[in-house]
Amino acid sequence: MADLLYLMLAYAAFWLLSFVLIFSIFNRQKKLNDELTMLKQLLKKEEN
Amino acid sequence: MTAGTMHSGKRDIWGLVLTVVSGIMMITGLYLAFVFAPPAMNLQTAVERFTQRVLYFHVGAAWVGFFAFFVTFAAGIGYLAKRTFFWDNLAHSSVEIGLTFMTMVLVTGSIWAKPTWNTWWTWSPRLTISAIGWLMYIGYLMLRSAIDNPARRARFAAVYGIVAFMSVPINFMAIRWWRDIHPAVVASGSNEGTGGFDMSPNMTATLIFCVVAFTVFYFTLLYHRMRLGNVEHEVETLKQKAMYR
Repeated sequence: MADLLYLMLAYAAFWLLSFVLIFSIFNRQKKLNDELTMLKQLLKKEEN
Repeated sequence: MTAGTMHSGKRDIWGLVLTVVSGIMMITGLYLAFVFAPPAMNLQTAVERFTQRVLYFHVGAAWVGFFAFFVTFAAGIGYLAKRTFFWDNLAHSSVEIGLTFMTMVLVTGSIWAKPTWNTWWTWSPRLTISAIGWLMYIGYLMLRSAIDNPARRARFAAVYGIVAFMSVPINFMAIRWWRDIHPAVVASGSNEGTGGFDMSPNMTATLIFCVVAFTVFYFTLLYHRMRLGNVEHEVETLKQKAMYR
């Protein structure tokens, strides 16, 4: 099992970084979508 | 596709298809790297033979990192020629993905180096230039975050992205121009580079598959990151609209 340590470490690092990027994109997308909806409502309210 | 349509609540078929295909390809790549590819029998210890399997994802990530920076270079030229948001969004999105993959390259390379070279890091030309290149693209993101004016930010970033790309061909050629401990995977078996190695057909097939899988993964991430960029742009535009009412 000790022979596999470096192999497992490398692949764990790869998947960890991949998921950090994916979650970062989706998290920012969600926040921005909420902000966009809020801004659109605000502008609509001001127009009325 | 405009920012508005990309943001709409309609089902994103392209995004879904790309995500599923790249997910399947990456898992297949993992299977090939762990099971299908034979162990490198010329390596002396079991640890070295196991750790050699890092190669398939390490090279795939390096290819995507270089390709992503090339896309930023091309998009920089595109922006300077057309001055449209699309090119700026493409360049910025590609740097973010390229940097993540270059981080993977540095981390997985360092982990591979420990049992193989008996050190986590050495200041060889290839490794030093990789570290400098990585820092240069961190600088790209810092430059973007330091400029508020969108047009000026895009223009400066385009020029920076074009200049920073010089690090990529130098990085690729480093092991061919100078004596380096880093093996030359491409052009192995020739006199180019030092420490090159030959691969069996199954190893080569695995490596090629991983490079293709990583390329699909890159385009999937790029698609999603550009959608994010479009929404960012739309929010920025609406904020300005609200401010100047």
